[in-house]
Amino acid sequence: MSRFRGAEAFAASGDDWQLLPFRFERLNGRVLVTNMVGEHLVLSGEDFEVLATGELPADSDLVRRLRAKQVIKRSGERAPLSLLALKARTRHARLAESTGLHIFVVSLRCEHSCPYCQVSRQSEDRDRYDMTLATAERGLDMTFRSPSRSLKIEFQGGEPLLNFGLIEEVVRQAEVRNRDEGRDLGFVIASNLALLSDEVLDFCARHNIHISTSLDGPADLHNRNRPRPGRDSWERAVDGIRRVRETLGVDHISALMTTTKRSLDRVRDIIDTYVDLGLRGIFLRPLSPYGFAIKTKSYSAYDAERWIDFYREGLGYILELNRQGLDLTEYFSTVILRKMLTNVEPGYVDLMSPAGIGIGALVYNYDGSVYASDEGRMLAEMGDETFRLGHLEVDTYESIMTSEALLAPLEESFALSAPMCSDCAFETYCGSDPVYHYATSGDFLGRKSESDFCRRNMAIFKHLIDLYENDEFARRTFLSWAGR
Amino acid sequence: MISLRGRASDFGPGQHLDRAVWMVVDRDRLTPQRHGRAYKLRDCEEAPPGFGLYLVDDARFAPRDGAWIALPPLLRYVAAGDVISASESGEHVRVLWRAGSPNNSVLLTERCDHYCLMCSQPPKERDDDWLLDNAAELIRLLPTSTPGIGFTGGEPTIYGERLIELLRLCRNLLPDAGVHVLSNGRRFANFGFARSWASVDNPRMMVGIPLYGAEPALHDYVVQSEGAFEDTVRGIVNLGEVGQRIEIRVVIHQQTAPALPEIAEYIARNLPFVEQVALMGLEMMGFARANVKDVWIDPLDYQPELREAVSLLALRRVRTMIYNHQLCLLDRELWPFAVRSISDWKNEYHAECTDCSARDRCGGFFFSAKYKVSESIRAIPAAETQAPALLSLGR
Amino acid sequence: MDANEQKSDRPTEVRFAASTTSVDAIQRAAYRFGDRFSVELLPGVDEHICILRSRDDADLDEETENFRVEVLDQTLRVRIRKETEPIRTMILAKAFSRTGVVDPQDLD
Repeated sequence: MSRFRGAEAFAASGDDWQLLPFRFERLNGRVLVTNMVGEHLVLSGEDFEVLATGELPADSDLVRRLRAKQVIKRSGERAPLSLLALKARTRHARLAESTGLHIFVVSLRCEHSCPYCQVSRQSEDRDRYDMTLATAERGLDMTFRSPSRSLKIEFQGGEPLLNFGLIEEVVRQAEVRNRDEGRDLGFVIASNLALLSDEVLDFCARHNIHISTSLDGPADLHNRNRPRPGRDSWERAVDGIRRVRETLGVDHISALMTTTKRSLDRVRDIIDTYVDLGLRGIFLRPLSPYGFAIKTKSYSAYDAERWIDFYREGLGYILELNRQGLDLTEYFSTVILRKMLTNVEPGYVDLMSPAGIGIGALVYNYDGSVYASDEGRMLAEMGDETFRLGHLEVDTYESIMTSEALLAPLEESFALSAPMCSDCAFETYCGSDPVYHYATSGDFLGRKSESDFCRRNMAIFKHLIDLYENDEFARRTFLSWAGR
Repeated sequence: MISLRGRASDFGPGQHLDRAVWMVVDRDRLTPQRHGRAYKLRDCEEAPPGFGLYLVDDARFAPRDGAWIALPPLLRYVAAGDVISASESGEHVRVLWRAGSPNNSVLLTERCDHYCLMCSQPPKERDDDWLLDNAAELIRLLPTSTPGIGFTGGEPTIYGERLIELLRLCRNLLPDAGVHVLSNGRRFANFGFARSWASVDNPRMMVGIPLYGAEPALHDYVVQSEGAFEDTVRGIVNLGEVGQRIEIRVVIHQQTAPALPEIAEYIARNLPFVEQVALMGLEMMGFARANVKDVWIDPLDYQPELREAVSLLALRRVRTMIYNHQLCLLDRELWPFAVRSISDWKNEYHAECTDCSARDRCGGFFFSAKYKVSESIRAIPAAETQAPALLSLGR
Repeated sequence: MDANEQKSDRPTEVRFAASTTSVDAIQRAAYRFGDRFSVELLPGVDEHICILRSRDDADLDEETENFRVEVLDQTLRVRIRKETEPIRTMILAKAFSRTGVVDPQDLD
């Protein structure tokens, strides 16, 4: 007799299988199963029946797959519980890291007059629309009150370069404070680059400041979206991007697009523009339902379906370019893929649950008002102060973080307790966006069956899983995006 | 293949050596130290006095005074800086350390609580604590600047706290040495032991732990022990919790090859805190020969699974290495992950290798490959070696 | 009046055995289809009756079948949630406890 026992001797005896928490969604005859922390596997309809009816055999390929993904376990096993706990803990570690992003709206003034932007003012009135040093200093007080180990300060507008003197002062003071605090401190200026001077570039180089700009695509599209005197928004942005690349480095510039109705059949042109400029990635962004967008109906002008087609075509083209050897990343997919394929929570404010508002970011408006998110500030500019958390002159970090204006939407939108979301197989990839739902449906939660947010995200999740499962090149590309 | 043990061709009659472990010195590498030193005499050389042991290649040149051993032909390579152990009479000699080798690995025991299908060093159930004592003596003799040392078994953790003491000795006496210990990891399921391990507090220490499945049935079958997967995984988690450096080793054979992608996915999601993953070719030694029909697989037949496994790990920034593979059997895009890992004393090349353009980059073969090897071994033409990998796996 | 309009105008009735299907599961399924049709639920002792009314041009015949499958899936989801709730709570407690994920038994 052999000293070795066969494989069957080590298969679980009997059928004492215990279900671990999992969720599922049907995908064209197959069934997507996700475990408690969002690891997925795709089962055939028949295999899923076996799991659903609880008639799992002692050993089979299916049983092995389910055990490997922690969907089932035997009663005595403890390792799967430890591992699930470890992964859940890692995923939520970012919550303890609130608040990482602090947005300073240093001026509401702007020389552009973009139709979808509600917040900016074409004005020379500095006293009225620029943030004062006193307000900025209070904003810095609050920034350093947050317990987060890493702090990112982002300057926004309007056009923040119109109040560059204040930016310089905030950066200097923040650096001085950080000598004692020792946080991982970073700066971003969100600018249209039309006013980018060599002095600004020089300052950014010396203080390691990142630049985030707007680029909607090719010149005609961009300039139609972004009117300014001289009709040269695109030319100035492109020139700015080149100079930033050369002065600060390719990793110090990123561009963000605003998607309008006119963008929808031009996704390839848009991507080509990004590639031409040597940008390493693009964010295929839905048009946000805020600001003028709602008023001018440019949002309702196209539905989620058309945007989804735009996204699919764009992602397909980006993968095609990667196949040809170009290293180009799509950032919205990357956020989701990171949630899908790693335990790291990327902390993208629109896809967090509990919602990223307040926890992920705080906005200090030019006038000292504090908002839970940039979109919350835009709503306020339209006269709805729902997401105004307080004011820098009277509130502390603690009173802001425990304000009803923050806690109510956080609690009411929490995806784990929301109808449909709590049972959704994609819940861990998604998030609750109370500002979006408030703006579109009037309550923090929104009816998911009628929510474009839900429809759009579900379509993206399914598309990404489909590509990941069926296309080896896409799978590799996605893994590398997730692993960045 | 280099021999590491042998029987003396002659030795001093009736001698009783007062210790087992000796550091070899000679005329050119002579220090004032005498304790624990064995002096290797050249032919016709006059023996300097005061050494507890003399080594000669030929008994005719044995010293008149003092204990001596005439080395068998296969051990005559032993030179200054090497460390040997000898039985009390001097009849049996083992080489514990070769100063010229980059991979010195010290056997701590042959006992093991696993009985792996493909074990290259089948366990023996007998008291061999003296191996641990010898290892401690070895550490005391080695130069302070020793760059690295490995410990293997059997299963070294069966010694419990005594292993920890050895590792502490290693940290204190060999402060520059990278220390690598191979273990099945089960004992670390006891958090107290994991903490004890961490208390050695050596940032140069790493434990290599094998994992043969993404779920218990396969792993337990391969190591022939129920509950092994559960213990090993909990052990790895515990070591991670106390911030220890971990390498996961997956030996690829007929049973594990189909599961490679699943194992890689499991590691990337559950154990991403490990420092590196080594995907290892099979060594046709020991039980691997007895179980050849259950373990042998031609590496060519698992290239798709290996590629997928490497993508799943490396693209998510888990450091991944391929050990013990001949480049001619490895997909071109996997070459950047291949490590020349076969210990020099086990290493061989085949006739086909003579004309191979990739020979310098190749790990070659285990000596044991003469028993069984892929029929697809071939010389790689220069054009292939110079061509870049078609697909990039992130390197 | 063409056939399509006729179809979408007519409410459809779907029945579920009360012994195997909970009101909760039916409500959850109904919520998912909220954009396509409305569901009027009449709970009963032996049978729950659902009256489906199309919201726009949704083909109720096809949607009825989808609804049945969804009610089955929701029943399964309710079961899974019930069955796994204690273990879920345990895992979360472990994840956020001070001792971390180490088993208390192993802390000797």
